[in-house]
Amino acid sequence: MSLDGLVAGLLASDGTEEWAARTPHRLESLLSAMPLPSRAGIRAAARAIDAYALVRTGRRLGGLTPAEREGVLAALGARPRLQPMLDVLKVPVLLAAGTERLAGRAAPPTAPVPADPPLDCTPAHAWPRRSTADAVVIGSGAGGAMAARTLARAGARVVVVEEGAHHSTASFGRRAPLDRFTDLYRDGGATIALGDPPLLLPVGRAVGGTTVVNSGTCYRTPAHVLARWTQQYGFAAAAQLDAFLDEAERTLHVGPQSLDVLGANGRIALAGAAALGWRAAPLRRNAPGCRGSCQCVVGCPTGAKQSVQLSVLPDACAAGARIVTGARVLRILVDPGRPGGPRAAGVRVAVSGGAGRRGDDSAESEILAPLVVVAAGALQSPALLRRSGLGRHPRLGRNLSVHPATSVAGRFAEPVTAWEGVLQSVGVEELHSRGVLIEATATPPGMGSFVLPGVGRELRDELEDAGRLATLGAMVADLPSGRVLGRDRVLVRYGLSPRDADRLLHAVRAMAQLLFAAGAQEVLTGIPVAPRARSVRELDAILGRVGPRQLHLSAYHPTGTVAAGADPQRAPTDGTGRLRGVHGVVVADGSLLPSCPEVNPQLSIMAAALAVAEAHTGG
Amino acid sequence: MSRGTRFRETMTGSMRLTTSGRVSPVRLDLRASADHVLRPFGTTLARVEGRVRVAGLADDPAASGELEISPLAARRIRYRLAFTAGGRRLVLDGWKSITPRHPVRSMTVLPFTLYEDDEPLGTGTLRFRARALPSFLAGFRFPRREDPDALTAARWRGAPGRTEVWYTTVTDPATGTGLWLHHELTAPADGSAAYAHGWAAVFPKGAPVRHARFGPVPWKPEDRGFAADGVRAVPGRLAGAAGAMNWDLTEQPEAAPLFTFPRWSWRRPLLPAAQILPAARATYEGTVRYEDGTLELTGAPGASARIYGHGNARRWSWLHADLGGGDVLEIVAAVSTRPGLRRLPPLVFLRLRRDGRTWPRRPERSAIGWAGALRFRADIGLPTWTVTGRAGLRRIRVTVTQPEDRTLALEYTDPDGARATCRNCERADAQVRLDRWWGRWRPEADWRLDGTAHAEVGTR
Ligand SMILES: Cc1cc2nc3c(=O)[nH]c(=O)nc-3n(C[C@H](O)[C@H](O)[C@H](O)COP(=O)(O)OP(=O)(O)OC[C@H]3O[C@@H](n4cnc5c(N)ncnc54)[C@H](O)[C@@H]3O)c2cc1C
Repeated sequence: MSLDGLVAGLLASDGTEEWAARTPHRLESLLSAMPLPSRAGIRAAARAIDAYALVRTGRRLGGLTPAEREGVLAALGARPRLQPMLDVLKVPVLLAAGTERLAGRAAPPTAPVPADPPLDCTPAHAWPRRSTADAVVIGSGAGGAMAARTLARAGARVVVVEEGAHHSTASFGRRAPLDRFTDLYRDGGATIALGDPPLLLPVGRAVGGTTVVNSGTCYRTPAHVLARWTQQYGFAAAAQLDAFLDEAERTLHVGPQSLDVLGANGRIALAGAAALGWRAAPLRRNAPGCRGSCQCVVGCPTGAKQSVQLSVLPDACAAGARIVTGARVLRILVDPGRPGGPRAAGVRVAVSGGAGRRGDDSAESEILAPLVVVAAGALQSPALLRRSGLGRHPRLGRNLSVHPATSVAGRFAEPVTAWEGVLQSVGVEELHSRGVLIEATATPPGMGSFVLPGVGRELRDELEDAGRLATLGAMVADLPSGRVLGRDRVLVRYGLSPRDADRLLHAVRAMAQLLFAAGAQEVLTGIPVAPRARSVRELDAILGRVGPRQLHLSAYHPTGTVAAGADPQRAPTDGTGRLRGVHGVVVADGSLLPSCPEVNPQLSIMAAALAVAEAHTGG
Repeated sequence: MSRGTRFRETMTGSMRLTTSGRVSPVRLDLRASADHVLRPFGTTLARVEGRVRVAGLADDPAASGELEISPLAARRIRYRLAFTAGGRRLVLDGWKSITPRHPVRSMTVLPFTLYEDDEPLGTGTLRFRARALPSFLAGFRFPRREDPDALTAARWRGAPGRTEVWYTTVTDPATGTGLWLHHELTAPADGSAAYAHGWAAVFPKGAPVRHARFGPVPWKPEDRGFAADGVRAVPGRLAGAAGAMNWDLTEQPEAAPLFTFPRWSWRRPLLPAAQILPAARATYEGTVRYEDGTLELTGAPGASARIYGHGNARRWSWLHADLGGGDVLEIVAAVSTRPGLRRLPPLVFLRLRRDGRTWPRRPERSAIGWAGALRFRADIGLPTWTVTGRAGLRRIRVTVTQPEDRTLALEYTDPDGARATCRNCERADAQVRLDRWWGRWRPEADWRLDGTAHAEVGTR
């Protein structure tokens, strides 16, 4: 089914603008990167709208005049119960439209970027089908990179197996943001946690893992969280985490974001906080020399952001580690019946992208190693362990925290042009002790989690006026309310707890307060049934009648699904990251964290991975 | 070596050298031996030795290494082999990964990497014939209650009126030539001195059968088998000369022993004679020279058999058929010379070893049947003879043809002084049809051997 009519209707396009005409095609390529269920959901919603048009007018959307389409969509938009379906469509359409509009503006060619530090990457189809190592690290993200570097420096022959491809900084400069988006994220960025409300839970897939697409914000694990991890959970490695956090900060060149490229979005957050007397400051980030390209989430085009493929993995490779790319680990090989119990023997890997390969097990390769480090991320690691017959612990896959987030936009009299400047620039910590962390976050148009209100003409006007919007995001420290299911395909469930729902509503109010204090004329709430508020009082009235289900939620920080802890009943891994019930399997990624770190987690994950890997080098 | 495991494997394939990108054929001819019986649910370590050939790079007949066999526990069979290539020491490291989804393919495909000083030099894949798989698997049942080497040792303890035979038949897969080595001890019934004699015969394709006799010479006991007149037949080795012929072969058992007659009849010789195969199948390597040619054997299939008893039957027929894939059919049908038994139709001993199992389950089943009614039947004649029978849910029909121009007739003397004639053909044809009862008879298997069956019909 063609999406042309739908796109034209949603964007109130009469087909004369070039960018709008290109949007359906862009949308198709976006959909093709998504997993089947998301794609099917979007197509079903599109079909339903077409059917609605057919019933109302006797013709499909594509066959209507712009005015008729507007009528159909206005009628749809007036029905609150249809909002969720419309939103399912708006997110990808806005993403595609944003990309095409930006492309039309012919961004100035970026200055030549310095070459990336060298890595030792081999695509899986060129890797021997039989090889051996001292340690295999599954996943090259925040945790995997640190573990690989530590083990390689200790003299081990390390092979890092990464499902994603390697992308160079230069390649980011050459390609449109959306093309990178579909390459760099698993499921085309459309990973969804099912629940009420559902939430978007994107994760990266590339050499460097999610750090390639993260915002570069670097928070140390708060002291009270560290204390909880050691005392309450018995995560022994956390006791020395401070030193490892220092080490991670050094490696990533962490420092406060300089003001010169901060951008108007961040300055508005600072101004609002100053007016309210709230604690706020430019964030500490791992991007020395950041030029404010505002493209963190699709790979930094200037190489300023020190994602692990630019910082940690080059060190690992210098110490002899090798990276196999396009290599999905199918299972950890386990030798049972050994004296002393089952023992990891290596990994079996599916090889993708090899020319002329047959689709059967000739496209598999095996690497034998006595130590297997699991660092596939909190969503993939539990499934991988289950596929490997290592998923017996009852708490494995449970205990998922996601640090759920929602965002709010404010409209200002003057242009903000939020996409010029640092993507995630300023932190407002006033409410952090109450579990709410606000960060000024702007993205290239369509790419953020903020969904513009309306359909048709209304949406089109918002889109054209987006230059006057500033956006804030807030994350709330959550209870472990989620669960990762599945072996081959991952299914995430997340049931927002009432406490955290309150925190989210509270966060929306605080963000609106900040924006009004900074001079916003109007706040876009992100709540489809009541999208606008002109004052805090108006907003309070709205929040009084809507619940958290009306919020658009997303989350970027899944943790805890293979948690560490002293209690064998409660924690699948012991206090030093060893998976219980098997020898030679160590967990070193976000899965390991016993509870929500309450801040952006990359430093916590890296420090934990360092601690775990150190513990296994005997050092 | 009473409870060990040995098997032999040939694998072929190719490899690609990383630096030059050149693709070279690779061949491994390996012998593996372990001090233990293979434990399917555990891990067995075995030594491997043999020849490694990588075209243009290496040909080392003295490669050695180890084999880690863990088909069910770790689901891996790993080969690590060190060999020399022009002064360089190389190591081949590879493993078969057994996946339940593709059991046969995964058991027969060996991807490997070749290293020099831990640096990968290239990668490749070797395959071994899936047909060889059942015999490899059969190896796992090797907890030998019978030591095959003990089965080769002479049985005769001085009693008069006995004969004892060691014979070997081989087919050269390369040329189609058949080979027959016959070693015999005769202790005459009149109490005169025991003597040793025998012969060797070559059955070339498209040329007349050649044979030569050795002995008779006085019998001198040899613990491990047969040794007389410079001719030896002992475990693992067959060598000697006779007339214009000489031979020197190694023998590698490839399967467990096969008792054609009831097991007890070999231990307590109550029947007129009994026959066994120390290994139901074996492979041979080495050279046979005869007046108009030379036979070079590598991995040639065949078997050695043993007979001990009072002498030949009045009429008999014998078949050894290597059905491929590790399956073997062995038949001995005989009409006794003993008074009273002579009028009976031939007793048929038929053993079909298929996928490592032997049918009928008990050897006496085919000969005696239930109360005699269901015994197998043989119709002995020349050039064609047949055996039919039914046991359990299966029935079999075997037709053997020994074309006259491929058949060698030899005379010899039994312990009782009677002359016997055997008509032997190591290039016989055979057709074997197996049906299974599923409410009606349905074909289960059908084998046709074209010049590779080993057969004999004898009279006295
Ligand atoms: C948009 C976005 C912005 C973010 N911003 C920040 C931020 O500013 N600050 C911050 O601290 N955190 C941020 N995060 C979160 C942070 O990046 C992650 O928490 C962190 O990278 C997780 O590390 P990890 O090692 O657990 O997994 P990952 O970094 O996700 O790495 C896992 C890797 O394993 C690979 N993998 C998975 N399965 C397999 C398999 N079977 N075989 C082989 N490889 C496999 C994946 O492809 C992936 O590359 C952000 C996240 C997102 C999505």
